[in-house]
Amino acid sequence: MSTELVTITINGSRHALDVEARRTLADVIREEVGLTGTHLGCEHGVCGACTILLDGQPARACLLLAVQADGAKITTIEGLADGDEMHPVQRAMKEAMAFQCAFCAPGFLMSTVALLEENPSPSTEEIRKELSGNLCRCTGYQSIVAGVETAVRLLSSTARPGVEQ
Amino acid sequence: MKNPPFTYHRPESLADALALLAEFGDDAKILAGGQSLLPVLALRLGRPGHVVDIGRIPELSNLEAGPHGTTIGALVRHAEAERSVAIADHAPLVAAAAPHIGHRAIRTRGTLVGSVAHADPAAEMPAVCLALGATMVAVSAGGTRLIAAADFHQGYLTTALEPNEILTQIRLPAWPTDAGGTVVEISRRHADYALVGLACTVAVADGAITSAALSFFGAASTPVRVADAEAALVGQPPGEAAFAAAAEIVCAQLDPPSDVHGSANYRKHIAGVLTQRGLTAAVARIGVAA
Amino acid sequence: MSIQTSGLGFVGQSVTRIEDDRFLIGKGRFVADVQPEGGLHAAFVRSPFPHATITGVDITEANRLAGVVAVYTGAELNEGTHPFVPFVASPGSYSPLYKPMADEKVRHIGDPVALVVAESRRVAEDAAELVVVDYDLLDGVGSIDKALAPETPQLWERADGNVLHDHTDTYGDVDAVFASADRLVTLTLHSHRQANQPMETRGTVVEIEPATGHLTIHNTSQGPHVLKWVIAAQTVDQGRLRSLWQFLRNTPRRKAFFAAAREFRTSNAADLKKQDNAAMKGQLKKDRSLLKHLGQMGLGLLAKDDYPTVTSVDIGGGFGSKGPVAREDLPIVVAAMRLGRTVQWIEDRVENLADGGHAREERFDVEIAVDDDGTMKGMRVDAIVDAGAYPSFPFGAHVLPGMWKVYMPGPYHFEAFQLRTRIVATNKGRVVPYRGPWANETFVRERAIDAVAAELGMTPADVRAKNMMTEQDAPSHFLTGPTIDETMSTRKTFERALELIDHDDMARMKADAQARNHRVGIGIASYHEAAPGPPDFADAMSPGAGILTKEDGRATVEADGRIVMYTSQVPHGQSHQTTYKQVVADEFGVSMDDVEIVWGNTDTSQFSFIGTGGSRGGPLGAGVMRSTARHVKNQMLEVAADMLEASVDDIQVVDGNIHVSGVPAHGLSFADVAGEVANRSGVSAGPVFSHAEKYEGVGNGGWSCATHVAVVDIDLDTGKVEIPRYLVVEDCGPVINPAIVDGQVRGGVAQGIGAVLYENAYYDDDANLLTSTYMDYLIPTAMEIPEIEIEHLETLTKGENDFRGVGEGGMIGAPAALTNAVSDALGIQVTEQYLPPTRILELAGVIEPDRPSTQGT
Repeated sequence: MSTELVTITINGSRHALDVEARRTLADVIREEVGLTGTHLGCEHGVCGACTILLDGQPARACLLLAVQADGAKITTIEGLADGDEMHPVQRAMKEAMAFQCAFCAPGFLMSTVALLEENPSPSTEEIRKELSGNLCRCTGYQSIVAGVETAVRLLSSTARPGVEQ
Repeated sequence: MKNPPFTYHRPESLADALALLAEFGDDAKILAGGQSLLPVLALRLGRPGHVVDIGRIPELSNLEAGPHGTTIGALVRHAEAERSVAIADHAPLVAAAAPHIGHRAIRTRGTLVGSVAHADPAAEMPAVCLALGATMVAVSAGGTRLIAAADFHQGYLTTALEPNEILTQIRLPAWPTDAGGTVVEISRRHADYALVGLACTVAVADGAITSAALSFFGAASTPVRVADAEAALVGQPPGEAAFAAAAEIVCAQLDPPSDVHGSANYRKHIAGVLTQRGLTAAVARIGVAA
Repeated sequence: MSIQTSGLGFVGQSVTRIEDDRFLIGKGRFVADVQPEGGLHAAFVRSPFPHATITGVDITEANRLAGVVAVYTGAELNEGTHPFVPFVASPGSYSPLYKPMADEKVRHIGDPVALVVAESRRVAEDAAELVVVDYDLLDGVGSIDKALAPETPQLWERADGNVLHDHTDTYGDVDAVFASADRLVTLTLHSHRQANQPMETRGTVVEIEPATGHLTIHNTSQGPHVLKWVIAAQTVDQGRLRSLWQFLRNTPRRKAFFAAAREFRTSNAADLKKQDNAAMKGQLKKDRSLLKHLGQMGLGLLAKDDYPTVTSVDIGGGFGSKGPVAREDLPIVVAAMRLGRTVQWIEDRVENLADGGHAREERFDVEIAVDDDGTMKGMRVDAIVDAGAYPSFPFGAHVLPGMWKVYMPGPYHFEAFQLRTRIVATNKGRVVPYRGPWANETFVRERAIDAVAAELGMTPADVRAKNMMTEQDAPSHFLTGPTIDETMSTRKTFERALELIDHDDMARMKADAQARNHRVGIGIASYHEAAPGPPDFADAMSPGAGILTKEDGRATVEADGRIVMYTSQVPHGQSHQTTYKQVVADEFGVSMDDVEIVWGNTDTSQFSFIGTGGSRGGPLGAGVMRSTARHVKNQMLEVAADMLEASVDDIQVVDGNIHVSGVPAHGLSFADVAGEVANRSGVSAGPVFSHAEKYEGVGNGGWSCATHVAVVDIDLDTGKVEIPRYLVVEDCGPVINPAIVDGQVRGGVAQGIGAVLYENAYYDDDANLLTSTYMDYLIPTAMEIPEIEIEHLETLTKGENDFRGVGEGGMIGAPAALTNAVSDALGIQVTEQYLPPTRILELAGVIEPDRPSTQGT
């Protein structure tokens, strides 16, 4: 079968991949690059578990062919932490005990990062609206919303001028 | 649920894309945002032999909105339209539709023109085009066709586009200053496809309605306008009485489908409710700065 | 001995989770992440029809596709397995035997007919499309009524029509009570088909060691030991006589087997004696072949000198659906064995919606015998379950009758109760346990109580207050058998819930709503559940059922001082890793980092019939952790006392420092003490302290109780229902980790809200599945689930271990509270559990149902 050469930057590393055009970005990230943090919950664009950032914007990796991401910069959950140090959103979710089975967590984390970049202090209603594209079956969402609110607090405190990062 | 195999093409120019369609037409699908096509592939509901990715064709990204009308190119994403001040000012009905369309992750990829070409009966943009009397610009290797919105959507997932044509842009007429527009819908969950939705415009002068468009989605296999209800509004003072009368006509004339999400009678009923809600909201938006 | 712990008191704190350290950075290891090098991928060919005879399966073209390694017909794979046999035989029931693949008939949409193994899943799916299956279509049975209709053909040869179970249980003098009551209130209640739908589907990765043939299976199973034994027993590899001969010749194995059998018999003697054989006899009467298959499986088991290792990975939720063995698990093993290569099957969402697990499609004819002053005297229920096509193994619809008969009268004084349960077969996906599988007993009873209230002109709260048990009822017995002990605190939760309702506010909300063409209503539901229940609970369900519910525990301290705890529990969202560390760290007096929990691998963890499920994780899982930890700690302290030349009574453990009270500077570490024993014994590694026990939670409290209050706001223009307030007052005793408990409650309530307002696994009357993707099966989002208030009560017991389960309760109370609230709002008696906007407007008289000719909702 014929393949396409694509170059995708994932979490800062350039990957040159030779893949069939029919393969989704989600499958290529998981299987060719070995980053299994991006999860497949439905493979038809409804559950949001596969959410990643493409050129900084949230997108469903199961609704993208890998070839469409040629030349793009992708961020996955594995790209959030800085070495051993969790990203504030990750820390916030841990502090708020946001998740249970956590299968949905990667999608929620990426959607939250995107949300807070666009709107650093969303209301609770806005949080629920923006995260309504990510399904969770375990939590009933309240703890996840609390996690986002914790992240808002953590991010705003680290953004105070004069405070060391 | 993995995609079936296909031959992938990524033409760099419109001419190349059209040449591909000329050759493979019947067996090809266009890929722009992919938010409608990818689920079809994943569920193997469609097995095109060829996928033509128009995502890198520069001339398809055009977005112009001004007092003389609006042109939306094939690659304009919902997210872009949502953010655009020009769209808010000059094509407020499009701006009104944007927040209803799926979730943010869908809007960052999906395109307005793609939604129109895909022709899901419960989608917003086809109904918006019908409400505005848009013109679809269909281009093939043989030339360009202008298709009126009223002629464009022909059935469930079926449009007037020929297999060798690409819908390169949608043209919207100038937005009248005395008009207000809104998109209202009822869905099972937030951001779901509408059970029934309404793209509605109304113009008022000297205390009377001068024109109205009631363009329903989710109520038939294509978007549908209820001309009799629109006509009944003309000359009436905008208010509950006129809106209720229009709603009654809408309920009587629409023949919506029934499915697991809503019965036909339910859809009829909420079409009437939306008529009143939509007209009330549209009137309120007349003259409101974006 | 007065041993003080570290005083840090992890138990009771919302300690952040260990699990999150890997989950939140994307380092969870779910079954689809195992991705073994060179592993093959499987895709099943599945029936697109609800009911048909298979007249031909042509795999030639599929086999030719590049990248395909093997294609097997269902018949070929079935040659490699024995059938599933009934595990639960309840009186009056018949369970058809069936093999994992469909080879003569298909019985539901999605029934697996053939298997493709290829280098990738996408190629396997390409090839699956090339398999040509010839079907002779048969009429599909898509409803209970159709299943029962005399003209409908039987789906299973040996059953009584399509009724697989029919049994009536009676408590008290039903006829007399009904005759003497002032009136009867009757209603028929419908609950629709729902699907568990965890965010992660099922999957299995079967690795085979080339030299030995040893299988290592990574699987999403909630019960890995059951899966291990099923695979070992049900895969065929050689003839009967040869098996027997090999077994008899292998002296050590033969001896070990009989020793283990003796031990099993002795330690479970009481339960084994209680088993009611009538049920199994009834099964055998209908199908003697069961004995033959059991014999073959038994011999096959004995002849195998190597059993598979089943190792659980991180599991993305289950809610009961990953408890039963997936039919697909066996053919994948057969394929791996035949190919001598690793084969994996990762279920996709379409497969999961079709057969990943359904539940709750039940209909109840209810009669309540009540006096005019509101005293409820008797209850009669005729229940029918739509069990789908194939009975799940080991647990499915057949567990319902035993649970319902014990639970249904609830925390109320009834003098008599009669329950007839029938289970019917249809052409639908399997019924599996789903978060409080018995939950509809609360829906039925609480909805009926509100109907009684309406009939009598009393308030729902007053009828409950008049009939609900009080503290004075303990100790005694429920009408249906089990002990009422001091943990039976439903009334406390009910009274507290009433205190938290602002009646003036409700009245105002209701009045305001009318002006907007909305209707506001409030609904209550109260219940109790065994978590784990008093010792006689299991027997009340089914004599000898206690055999299933014991929990084996093992605690060890290694030569280097590490504390290693072994559990049979298999967490899939319950945060056991964290809660168990809390319990054990407190018990030993160490920090949580000093404790390691081992789970999920059949080579290292203990056997359990159930694994994680049935609200066992807290009371039994944590209970045995604490008990075994305490034993090991006491062993250690004896040694430490000796080393410190002090009396054991004077020893304290604070933050891992074992010392004489008041002399912390001269303390010993765990490594010191363990090292000492290691030296004395001449070992350098492995456990130097250990204790194992079979824990039954005996002597401890057993009931978890709750009252739910739902307020609904219905838009009569659109039929949409909002939930401005949802309150849970629950009592599960002392709480190990409050945040985790709250999460469990909210998750359960969310599923209940989903059930009532959004989710319906919908089949038409011919058994065509109309909800085959997430476009149609609607899981509620963050916009549909409100904030849920939770108030905890903590009724303690005299027993050692107070931890009671809580995982299931949210879903038990919610459908009842919500349907009661809708009834209150609309001023009618709602008799169905599924209330989408269309149905709300029909019930409110705003629209008419479509005429039958239209394809309906």
